[in-house]
Amino acid sequence: MIHISQTATRRPKIFLWAASLLSAIMIALVVLPSVWPASFGMLNALQIDTDPENMLSVDEPVRVFHNEQKKTFSLYDMVVVGVINEDHPQGVFNASTLGDVHALTEFAKTIQWQDKSGQTQGVIAIDLMAPSTVDNIETEGVGTVRFEWLMKEAPSDDLEALQIRNKAQNLPLLNGTIVSEDGRAVALYIPITTKNVSYKVVQALKSKISEFDSKDQYHVTGLPVAQDTFGVEMFIQMAISAPMAMVLIFLLMWYFFKKVSLVVSPMIVAMVSVIATMGLLVMTGNTVHIMSSMIPIFIMPIAVLDAIHILSDFYDRYPVYKDRKKTIDHVMRELSAPMFFTTLTTAVGFASLALTPIPPVQVFGIFVATGVVLAWFFTITLVPAYIMLMPEEKFSGFGLDQSAGENNSLMARTLHGLGRVTYSGAKLIILMVFILSGLAWAGITKISINDNPVKWFAPSHEIRVADRALNARFAGTYMAYLTLGAPEDTKPLDQFASELAQSMQAHELLPLQDMSAGVSSLVTGVKDRQELIEQLSAALELRMDIVSDEDWDMWDDALTWVGSQLSAGEVFKSPEVLEYMGQLQDYLQETGLVGKSNSLADVVKTVHRELFAGDEDAYRIPASRRAVAETLITYQNSHRPQDLWHFVTPDYTKTNMWLQLKSGDNRDMSALIEKVDQFFLDNPAPDGIGYGWFGLTYINVIWQDKMVSGMAKAFIGSFIIVLVMMVFLFRSLWWGILAMVPLTFTIGMIYGLIGWIGKDYDMPVAVLSSLSLGLAVDYAIHFLVRSREMHKQFPDWKSTKEAVFGEPARAITRNVIVVGVGFMPLLAAPLLPYKTVGVFISAILVLAGIASLTILPALIRIFEKLLFKTKTERTS
Amino acid sequence: MKNLVKILIMSALWALPAVAQETPDVMDIVEKANHVSYYKGDDGRAKVNMRIIDAQGRERVRAFIILRKDEDTADGKDGKQKMYVYFNKPADVKKMVFMVVKNMDRDDDRWLYLPALDLVKRIAASDERTSFVGSHFFYEDVSGRGIDEDNHELLEQDETYYIVKSTPKDPKSVEFSYYKNWIHKSTFLPVKTEYYDGSDQKIRSYTALKVDMIAGHPTVTASRMENHESGGKTLMNYSAVKYDVGLPDEIFSERYLRKAPRKYLR
Repeated sequence: MIHISQTATRRPKIFLWAASLLSAIMIALVVLPSVWPASFGMLNALQIDTDPENMLSVDEPVRVFHNEQKKTFSLYDMVVVGVINEDHPQGVFNASTLGDVHALTEFAKTIQWQDKSGQTQGVIAIDLMAPSTVDNIETEGVGTVRFEWLMKEAPSDDLEALQIRNKAQNLPLLNGTIVSEDGRAVALYIPITTKNVSYKVVQALKSKISEFDSKDQYHVTGLPVAQDTFGVEMFIQMAISAPMAMVLIFLLMWYFFKKVSLVVSPMIVAMVSVIATMGLLVMTGNTVHIMSSMIPIFIMPIAVLDAIHILSDFYDRYPVYKDRKKTIDHVMRELSAPMFFTTLTTAVGFASLALTPIPPVQVFGIFVATGVVLAWFFTITLVPAYIMLMPEEKFSGFGLDQSAGENNSLMARTLHGLGRVTYSGAKLIILMVFILSGLAWAGITKISINDNPVKWFAPSHEIRVADRALNARFAGTYMAYLTLGAPEDTKPLDQFASELAQSMQAHELLPLQDMSAGVSSLVTGVKDRQELIEQLSAALELRMDIVSDEDWDMWDDALTWVGSQLSAGEVFKSPEVLEYMGQLQDYLQETGLVGKSNSLADVVKTVHRELFAGDEDAYRIPASRRAVAETLITYQNSHRPQDLWHFVTPDYTKTNMWLQLKSGDNRDMSALIEKVDQFFLDNPAPDGIGYGWFGLTYINVIWQDKMVSGMAKAFIGSFIIVLVMMVFLFRSLWWGILAMVPLTFTIGMIYGLIGWIGKDYDMPVAVLSSLSLGLAVDYAIHFLVRSREMHKQFPDWKSTKEAVFGEPARAITRNVIVVGVGFMPLLAAPLLPYKTVGVFISAILVLAGIASLTILPALIRIFEKLLFKTKTERTS
Repeated sequence: MKNLVKILIMSALWALPAVAQETPDVMDIVEKANHVSYYKGDDGRAKVNMRIIDAQGRERVRAFIILRKDEDTADGKDGKQKMYVYFNKPADVKKMVFMVVKNMDRDDDRWLYLPALDLVKRIAASDERTSFVGSHFFYEDVSGRGIDEDNHELLEQDETYYIVKSTPKDPKSVEFSYYKNWIHKSTFLPVKTEYYDGSDQKIRSYTALKVDMIAGHPTVTASRMENHESGGKTLMNYSAVKYDVGLPDEIFSERYLRKAPRKYLR
């Protein structure tokens, strides 16, 4: 490694030019295809990915199932518009507001356009749910049932508006969904072709809303909207936080090393590293996701770490040599090994994220690791090269003022004081470590695993405001879907046919007995059950043409019986099954976790009630399968018969319960999953019906589970690798273990703290553990390598520590400050995960620095004989 | 060459008055089209098979028998009409009956008989553009839309078709903003109908797929209704079509809902 640096010091210009050229090429390769995609189609353009679904890979079974079910039940991602009026005594149910709502709905239907491939994109008008697009079914007088649009036209007066509210609240499928439970607000559910069009749709909606002159509040929300906003705020983060980090780091280094021109070199290293890494990311076709958008701000502080060690040593040594080449040579000899190892450990820590099953986290880990290695390479070449290009006279008066002694600066004095404390109070320090570790462990057991992508926005953000406003009034804006399905009937056709013939033989209807013998001859020529039944029905019908009028009814009944053999598989027309679904829904409501559930059972009950004059007692599942079928076909006489297929497949073998949740917290969804599991255990489903979950709220839980277990794996993996590396570096098991102590203590403390303060263990917190591991060990490496080196010049630890708490301790402290402060600009980012990462990574690194400077010397003091055994033997 | 041009001009001039004479009154076309679509013979009977196919290709079937009887009017024009629809499939709604009395002066009367629930219900609907038993046909497509509900305009005609554009008089009562009808010149059967929305997007279309001559009446025996918004379609097939069966008036009554007139349904 030292050779590379020496080459760089000999040919500094070439290295600097090469770095500039590399940056220019990288920028060009990203900018060209992004700005002129047509001319540079062969290159990968910059692509933003804001879809939380992508936390799971595309072929992940949960996601595949989710997409299959969405298709099966014709479900789309939705933009939700909530309308609230606090001034009118009837809330939004006044003529003026509903007039606007009507106009907005009509407008929303027209938000459609053709994309480049000629596909229609935008709003799916036919599935739009709004007061003017849904049906009302109600009893009208004696013996009459009425079907009508709930709000065909805007109401002409407030009384009419109130009637619309009353009608909607009478329909279980609409109450709490379209009309708020308090009857004062309405919501529109606007399905869109793909999530990618939500921005355009929302902009159109907002411009229409701005035309309304009213005191109504319009809240536009829904996951697609949240995602678009992510995209924007990710850029804000990258555009503000990363440059801010840059400026802060620059100012700090300027303060430490007093020389602007010199401090420029680490900044060049950081810039080139970030440009090269991000360039590689885009060029390789990876998308910029919420995780990968943090790559620049991670590389920035890490990139300058090695440079700070070099400059720190250079700053302290230059006054001795008074020659930049000699000083550099000395510095690089002293530091190349620890720098190489710290780089490797950091890279390993990040690369271990590739062990998680979350693609964006893998990409993040791999590219930060790449960036770290690049930064190391640029540091050991460009910093010496840059120093060599500076004129020697610029260094006059540079460096730590040796004449005044080492002890004059505040940092130097404090560190020497600290060194003495670790010597005299070693046992006390270790006792403290034990007590704190115990407390941390208690905290860790309190950790609550939870996340909610909507809460990634600050509480004042319009999405959070809408989230609160709508969930306070409606049954819930978080959607989860519970699908129930009958087990697939795998009975072979022959067996089906022989059983059919048997039951026909045994049936009281004579025509069935008559025809039963013919089944076995029919079965040879048909491909499936449906065809068999059709053939048998045709045979029956032929006979019916010639039977007498008296016998005809009997034959007709036989025909009906044959036809119904096919519909036996339509399990979700069974009253027993629908009753079971009703019980499940009641149970869901009792858990308090579900705002409202909507199912096929509700459809049947509502239609049944209205067929029986709106009588509340008739709000039930009718007793026979045929009666259920009749309510369902009645329902299909509406304006929107297709709504039924959101709840059940046309063959009635699968059904879908739409659950509205007021909370999108993974904790609540997990609790619900457990409750439902329990229900199915306690109340076995009829007909062997099984169940499965889908919907974004469920997917979030799955990727969180994967994240938690994946992170544990990544952490253990990188811990072991780093330990092995340490043992190898120090050629000693004990020194290796010693190097792991401060970071283990630090990570334990931080997670204990998270447990104690009740911060949820969410996505950013999960990622922190393994990535901080690789960084936190750096201080221990520098401390121990330098301690061992220096120990050779001194008789014992007591005198060695004085030297160690000189330049090495100062370099570590400078690093702690730079990195600790370097991540702080993440606090200025608008999204909470960035803030979390900023706070905790700073805390981890500062604490790891303190731990390295206290626990390590204390342990060395206590185990001095064991650790320096060989040397003691050799000298004696 | 000059002669040839002369001949062409001459023949063009000669043809002009003929074309003018051939432009018929649009109401005349519409009335005739309405008549051949819904009023053939004094009464009629047909077995109908319906296949409802959604955008995903999933299919459901309906099978029913339609009985129709027209009432005589004083002026001989098409007037009141009664319809009796008896369901055979799906098997679990067999014997369900749907009955319509089409009135000229007010909304149609509609009844539904649900045998398993043992219910006869009158259906009041704010409009007739609701689905016919879950298919892509509307009630109005089955019973016929009153010709006075739209303003009609003969857009153009070619050798085979009159193309009539119809715009609703009450736009708020319907989901389309206009429709175009391709009416066959010799039979006056509408063979294609396209419904458009406010931005001239085709949202729905009807196509006659097969026409047979039955008892002297050109009769559509296969048709298709497509919904271009949802991507679904419904195919209707007619068989055993008969005209002038001699259906008695009394079968179109509430009493016969519960007790189907077997004689005419066989």
